[in-house]
Amino acid sequence: MSIKEIKPACDVCVRCATCMSICPVSRVTGRFPGPKQAGPGAERFRNPGESSVDNWIELCLGCRLCETVCSSGVPVSELNLLARAKYLDEQGRPFRDWLLTHSHRLNGLGSLLAPLVNPLLTSRPVKWFLDRFLRIDGRMNLPPYESVSFRRWFRSRPGNSSGEITVGYFYGCYINVHEVDVGRATVEVLEACGRKVILPPQDCCGIPLLGHGDLAGAARLGNYNLRSFGELISRGEDIIFASPSCGLMIRHEYDRILALPGAREAAGHIFDIFEYLSLNEDCRAALSRGLSPLDKKAAYFVPCHLKALNIGLPAFELLSLIPGLKLDLLEADCCGLAGAFGFKKEKYDISQAIGRDLTRAAERINPDIIVSECEGCRMQIRSLTGLEVRHPVEVLRDALGSRP
Amino acid sequence: MRFDVIVIGLGLSGLMAAKTASEAGRRVLIVGKGIGSLGILSNTVDILGRASRDSLKEDVLAWIGDNPRHPYALAGWQGIEEALRSFVSLFPPPYDFSAPGGRNSLIPTGAGTRHPAYLVPATMLGGIDADWGKTLIVGFEGFKDFFAEYVAHHLKARGITIPLPRADQGGITATAIARLMEEPGFTGELAYGIKKRWAGEEAVGLPALLGVRSPAQVLRELESETKLKVFEIPILPPSIPGMRVFNRFKGHLLARGVRLLQGQAVVSVLREGRRIKGVTVYHAPLSRTFTCEACILATGRFLGGGLLADEEGIREPVFDLPLKKPSSRGGWFNKRFFSTSVHPLHFAGVMVNEKFQPVDGEGKPVFENLRAAGTIMACHSSIEETSREGIEIASGYAAARRACEL
Repeated sequence: MSIKEIKPACDVCVRCATCMSICPVSRVTGRFPGPKQAGPGAERFRNPGESSVDNWIELCLGCRLCETVCSSGVPVSELNLLARAKYLDEQGRPFRDWLLTHSHRLNGLGSLLAPLVNPLLTSRPVKWFLDRFLRIDGRMNLPPYESVSFRRWFRSRPGNSSGEITVGYFYGCYINVHEVDVGRATVEVLEACGRKVILPPQDCCGIPLLGHGDLAGAARLGNYNLRSFGELISRGEDIIFASPSCGLMIRHEYDRILALPGAREAAGHIFDIFEYLSLNEDCRAALSRGLSPLDKKAAYFVPCHLKALNIGLPAFELLSLIPGLKLDLLEADCCGLAGAFGFKKEKYDISQAIGRDLTRAAERINPDIIVSECEGCRMQIRSLTGLEVRHPVEVLRDALGSRP
Repeated sequence: MRFDVIVIGLGLSGLMAAKTASEAGRRVLIVGKGIGSLGILSNTVDILGRASRDSLKEDVLAWIGDNPRHPYALAGWQGIEEALRSFVSLFPPPYDFSAPGGRNSLIPTGAGTRHPAYLVPATMLGGIDADWGKTLIVGFEGFKDFFAEYVAHHLKARGITIPLPRADQGGITATAIARLMEEPGFTGELAYGIKKRWAGEEAVGLPALLGVRSPAQVLRELESETKLKVFEIPILPPSIPGMRVFNRFKGHLLARGVRLLQGQAVVSVLREGRRIKGVTVYHAPLSRTFTCEACILATGRFLGGGLLADEEGIREPVFDLPLKKPSSRGGWFNKRFFSTSVHPLHFAGVMVNEKFQPVDGEGKPVFENLRAAGTIMACHSSIEETSREGIEIASGYAAARRACEL
């Protein structure tokens, strides 16, 4: 075997420190040594037969920004993820982490009992209990449930999707019960572009489990989703996502990290909603005909996982076409929530410190509204700024008027 | 997707090329595996370190006369000047770049040396003519990349290391300090810590960490709170001043509608005869192809992956371009590593003609619509010449102008 074949991924690191200039965590705390040390640096000392000593590995957000700046192609976040999986396998995961990564199993119940559950989620005794016994920080607000889920709205709405080209929509767990309007807007925009929208059977994409090092659990969910997509893909149909983290997981991590059968074939049929609209001439034409003015000042925040998808900024480009809409880029590197991370009591301070930089960037722009594709970012930015925060597809739908 | 110009490489030369092509009205894609060396190396804009005359222009013209294959010779003095103007225009005051006296300035560094730079950011101007006997160099406890006493020893100033307000116990990184500098009220606390150890000095030199977004404001606050002249000293990587430059370019390009893809490499190219039709970017497990009219290669040298070296030799991985290089592996380096003459490997790279088209051994363009820019070009040794940013800015600008046939 030649040196090239056995050279591990960490040895392509030239220790240049470019990743240190982008890491949101090492910017706010000395507790995390930064991507260079935590990833390739520590990896050289790790031995599969020995137990993990690097407890700070849990502080990596999994934002993947380090990988977007590395000139040497070091898979830093993948190294961190695998090291964290080993660490957590040894240390065990608290019940809280199980709960945060399996919240999709409670979605049906939460939605059904929304009028009862929502007041409980914000009540002081419940928050105290969650904080004290589960270490879910009491200063955070868990998202309320909507009583009519997206799936139910889709099935019961009057009129049906028609159109010659069919697309499947992977809406994700959060949109289904916590922010139904994003799902509605996605469907309405696609239909305005002449697409027939269907909802393939789907489960959680698995990225929360992956982030907590449960590779087997994530693979089970991934296999279920890929089987469901298989039918559409065999007909040559595409699948649209509007949540970048779900999209990153399905399009890239199902293959790159989990090596799931069929993931490679599926990846070419999976698109971000704005990427899809920009790539298809007829969609662009339909949109440019139908945009009416919106008199608003908006700031667009690029979620980390959209950067990791590396598709450019199609939402920013398309929203820029809306007459009257003043659109600025919100210059911040990360919102700090990172899914479950920001809810954890021991990580709350780090999450909020990262978020404060975003708050200041928002204050400099002073927008009427902030738009961002990621539901985690929207949750965090709402609580940080108190501003109206929406998905860009909702703004696009508004500019399209009341149609269809 | 179709573009007029595709620029490969997100370093300073690629960013300059993308800016130039975009300002010429072209639809531009800039794509790179990472952000190049801006975030590590570049603090000032170095044109020609050895320049010693009263004006840089004379020195560069003399240099061009002696080195007719050098990138500066291909760009020409007028082209260099235009390119520098274009660069400078991106940085309006208060954080602007200037060349005091129209010649090189000696900037103190974190190694305690004095580095010849041409364009200097506003925050470093104070270090040029400092009266070292009346200067205090300040470092921070827990920050391992700047030793004030060491720097001060060489500069014959006084150096102190003080605790950093609001810092975690243990270590602190460059980005963490730069972030603290822009936190409300922080400069006041820092100024208080400096004044406590002050012994009548007139100026204070700090590591170049005075914030990423508005360093000139941080400097102004520190000056008014200490009542002393304050300046930044460029230090080890990561380079906060380099990040400022990268961020400024990125914001400018995005606002102009340039498509920017950052994080994955161009793995193959589409060719048709002697023309490049497009490039393919691989993001596992997906390949995406973008087509173009013209293409600019600005992938840098060995550090950024523009040139690859292994046991057998060196090669250019994207287009497999012919390279000027030492004839054998044994000829890469001088016998003594620290010899004063330049290692032959440093002159290796892509040979280009005056249109910045990569050429083969006979001087014929390899592809009609391909240009190369930046340090990947042969016939320079930017390390010894202290010419990195000058080559990047001038050739990025020139290659894009020629690609747009301006």
